[in-house]
Amino acid sequence: MVIYIFKRLLIAVPLIFGVLTLTFFIIRLAPGDPAAFFIQPGISPNVAEQIRTQYGLNDPLPVQYVKWLASVLQGDFGRSFSRAQQPVIEVIAEALPVTVTIALLTLVANFVFGILIGIISAVRQNSFLDRFLTISALFFYSMPEFWFALMMIILFALKFPFFPASGLNEIGAENLGPLAFTLDRIWHLVLPVTVLSINGSAGIARYVRGSMLEVIRQDYIRTARAKGLPEKIVIFRHALRNALLPVVTLMGSSLPFIFSGALFIEVIFAFPGMGRVTVEAIFARDYPLIIADTFISGSLIVIGNLVADVLYAVVDPRIKL
Amino acid sequence: MLALAVLFLSSCSKPQGPGGSAAKNHAAMDSTLVIAMLGDADYLNPVLASTVTSSEIIGLLYPSLVQAEFDTTSGLLNYLTLEKKLKDVSPGQLRKSPKGAIAKRWTMSPDNKSITYILRSDAFWNDGKPIVSRDFKFSYMLYGSPVIASTRQQFLAELVGADKGHVDFDKAIETPNDTTLVFRFYKPVPEHLALYHTSLTPLPEHLWKDVKPADFRHSPLNQNPVGAGPYTLRSWKQQEELVIASNRKSNLPKPGNIPAISFRIVPDYTVRLAQLQTGQSDVVENVKPEDFTALMKANPNIEIKTIGLRVYDYVGWSNIDQDAYGKNGTIKPHPLFGSPKVRLALTKAIDRQSIIDGYLKQYGVICNTDISPSLKWAYDNRITSVSYDPDGAVALLKQEGWQPGPDGILQKNGRKFSFKLFTNSGNARRNYASVIIQQNLRAIGIDCRLETQESNVFFNNLQNKKLDAWMAGWAIGLEIDPLDVWGSDLKKSPFNMTGYQNPRVDELCELAKQKMNHTDARPYWLEYQQILFRDQPVTFLYWIRETHGFSKRIEGEELNISGSFYNVDDWNLRPARNITH
Repeated sequence: MVIYIFKRLLIAVPLIFGVLTLTFFIIRLAPGDPAAFFIQPGISPNVAEQIRTQYGLNDPLPVQYVKWLASVLQGDFGRSFSRAQQPVIEVIAEALPVTVTIALLTLVANFVFGILIGIISAVRQNSFLDRFLTISALFFYSMPEFWFALMMIILFALKFPFFPASGLNEIGAENLGPLAFTLDRIWHLVLPVTVLSINGSAGIARYVRGSMLEVIRQDYIRTARAKGLPEKIVIFRHALRNALLPVVTLMGSSLPFIFSGALFIEVIFAFPGMGRVTVEAIFARDYPLIIADTFISGSLIVIGNLVADVLYAVVDPRIKL
Repeated sequence: MLALAVLFLSSCSKPQGPGGSAAKNHAAMDSTLVIAMLGDADYLNPVLASTVTSSEIIGLLYPSLVQAEFDTTSGLLNYLTLEKKLKDVSPGQLRKSPKGAIAKRWTMSPDNKSITYILRSDAFWNDGKPIVSRDFKFSYMLYGSPVIASTRQQFLAELVGADKGHVDFDKAIETPNDTTLVFRFYKPVPEHLALYHTSLTPLPEHLWKDVKPADFRHSPLNQNPVGAGPYTLRSWKQQEELVIASNRKSNLPKPGNIPAISFRIVPDYTVRLAQLQTGQSDVVENVKPEDFTALMKANPNIEIKTIGLRVYDYVGWSNIDQDAYGKNGTIKPHPLFGSPKVRLALTKAIDRQSIIDGYLKQYGVICNTDISPSLKWAYDNRITSVSYDPDGAVALLKQEGWQPGPDGILQKNGRKFSFKLFTNSGNARRNYASVIIQQNLRAIGIDCRLETQESNVFFNNLQNKKLDAWMAGWAIGLEIDPLDVWGSDLKKSPFNMTGYQNPRVDELCELAKQKMNHTDARPYWLEYQQILFRDQPVTFLYWIRETHGFSKRIEGEELNISGSFYNVDDWNLRPARNITH
C-alpha cells in the first residue's frame, strides 16, 4: 500500500503542475489587469505603467512564465499584488488554518448527522419520520447555500440574536482566558458550520439510507435476527458496518466540495480564510495569489481522492492496493 | 435540525448565553469605537496608500504639514497653521485645531513660484526623534520615485524640473535648516494649490533612509508605521481587524478622544447592516436608502448621516464613432449619439426624478453638470434642470430626422435607434435606474437593451472605447480639474470615454488653472457649466448623498465631502449602558 500511495503522489506532481500552468495562462487571458486600479483621474498615467514594470507584467508572456517557473520550483510563489506585497505563502499561512477549522468541523458534522439521519430513515422506512426526514433533507439539499446563510443570519443573529453575524471572535476577545476564547470562537463558528454542513449531511443521509436499505435486506441480517440478537446490535454491528463502506469513500471526495462551499461562507461571515482570499484575489487579478490558491485547492482534491481510495482498502479487506 | 442541535450544544457550554458574553465585553466596547468596513487598508504608508480607507487611517496616524479644513459655506479647503490661515476665520468657527499642523506659518513668494514653511520645533515622531524639514524632502523624493510608483506623483507636477520630465529635487526642495522648508515651482502656482500639493504626509527619514526603493513596498516597516498623529497602530490582522489606539504622546493636535478605534473588515453588506443593528458595529458606511426604515425601526439608537454631494451617476453616450476611431483614429460623429440635440432629447426622455423618488428619495438630487452643488464657490445655481418631457424629446428627434418605423422603433436612413446600455454588475442603484431608463426610452420609440458586465471587464471595455452607451459614476475631487474627462486631446485624456470635444472647454479649464485665486476662476466655471449643459456630452442623472449609519453613542461627529472620518479624533463615545432604550 505504501508503494501505491507513493506512486499516486508521484503522478500527482505533474498533474498539479499542469493545472498551475493552465491557470497561469488562463488568468492572464481574463480582461482587466492588476494595475487597472491605478488608472484613475488624479493619478498620473505613468503609475499604472510603473506598477506593471514592478510586477514584471511588461515582459513577454514566455519570459514571465519562465521566471515564474524558476521561482515556483524554488518554492517561492511570489508576492501578492493586492495585499501590500505580502509574500503569498504568508497570506495562505494565515488563511488556511481558518478554512481547515471550518472544513474539519463541517466534515465531522456532515458525517455524524448524515449517518444518524440516514439510519433512522432506513430503519423506519416509509414511516412518517422517514418521510419527514426525506423531505427536509431534499429541502435543504436543494437550497442555495449563500441564501441559506443569509436567512440563518436574519433568523439567528437579527430576529433572535443567539449568535454573532460575523467574525471569528468578539471584540476584545484577546483579553479573555484561553477557555473563554475558545468558547467564543466556537460560538462564532456555529452558524457558518451549520450552513455548510446541513447541505452535505442531507446528501450523506440519502446515501446512508439507500445503502442501509440494501444491507438490511441481505441474508446475513436475517440470520442475525434469527439468532435472536437484539435489534440494536443487528443495526449497528452487522448492518451499519457494511452500509458504511460506500459512505467512507465520500469522505475524501467531499473535501473539495466543503472547501468550495467555504468560499462564499467566508465572504458572508467575514472570515479571513482561503475562500475569501481566493474570491478577492480573482477580482483584483492578483495573479500570484490566484495561482497559489489553485495550488492549495488542487493539492487538496488530489489528496482527498487518494484518502478516499486508501480508506476504501482499509475498511474493505476484499480490496488490495 | 442541525441548527437546533448546535444551538442546544452552544447554550450548554455557555450558560449565561450570548447576552452574558456581551456584558463581559461591555468594558471593551465602551472604550472602543467599531467601524465595519467593506475592505481592508492596503498600506499604512502615505507614499503607497491608494484606497480611501488607508488614507483615512493614515490621516489619524501621521502628522501633516498644514491642517486642512473643509469650509461648507464655500466648498473650499482652508489651510491652517498656528500663526497663519489661508482664509481668516474667527477661532470660534474653527472646526479643526491648527495645532495639528507641523508648520508654524508659510510665505508664498510674490511671483508665486515658491513657498517657504517655517516648522515647529516641538513636533516629534512617536520614537522621540524630532520632525524636521529633511523628513519632508526625503518623503517627496519617495513620492516622486518611478520605482516606488506612488499614486500621488501628480502632486509633484509643478516642482522645478517636472516640466522636463524629472523633478530636480536639489533645486525643487530646499532645507536650509531643521525648521525651514522651501518648495520651488517651475511656473507660478496659486497659493491654495501650492499648499495642497506641498502638504503630502511625511515619513520619518531616519527609519526609512536605508530601505531601497525596490524593497519599499515590502519593507517590514509598512506593518509598524511610526507617525505622530492623534492615534497609533495597536494591531493589524490583515483582512480581519485593524485597531488604532489614542496616542498619549501626541501634540499634533492632541491624543484622540476615543481610547481605541477598531476597523473590522466585513465584506458582506447584509452582515455589516446586521452588525450595526445589533450594536456590534458603531459605524457602517454607504447604507442603502431602501434599508433605512427597517434599520431605524429595529434599533432606535441608529441614525443616518449624510455627507455632501460628491458622487454622481450618468449615462454615457459615445459622441464619436468608436469603430472609426479604433481603426485609424478618425473622428466622426456617432451614428446615434453624435448630435447634441439627440443627446438632449435622450436627457429629456429620461425621468430622472422618478429614479430619485423610487430609489434615492431625499438622498438624491438631479445632476446638471459635473460641478457639485457642494462646491458652492463654483456651482452655477442659475441652471434649471432639463425637465422630463417625452413629447419634447420626440420633437427634437424628429428635427434630427428620426421617424417611427413600422415596428414603432425610430429610424433614420434605414438605421434603427437601437443600442445596448452597459453597466457593471452588482450595483443595485444602477440596476434600478437602468430599468427605468429602458422603459422611458421604449416609450418614445428607442430600443435600449440592458447588459451588465463584471466590473473589470466593464471598465476595460470603457477605457478601450468599446461601448456605445453605458451607465457609470464619478466621484469628484475637492479641486476642480475636468480635463481628464472632457479634454479634446483624446490620447491625453484617458477618461474621455465619450470622445467629447469642445476647444472652449479646454480653454476654460486652462484659464481657470492660471487664476491665483479660486474665486477669480468662478466666471470660467460658470461658462463651463453652461457649455456642458448645452452640449449634454452625457446625460447627468443624479448626485448621491452618501448615507452612513451611525450609532447614537457617538458624539461630536462631523461629516463633509472631504471624508466620513473628517474629525474622528474629536469624537466621543457614550457608554453603551447609558443609552436610553
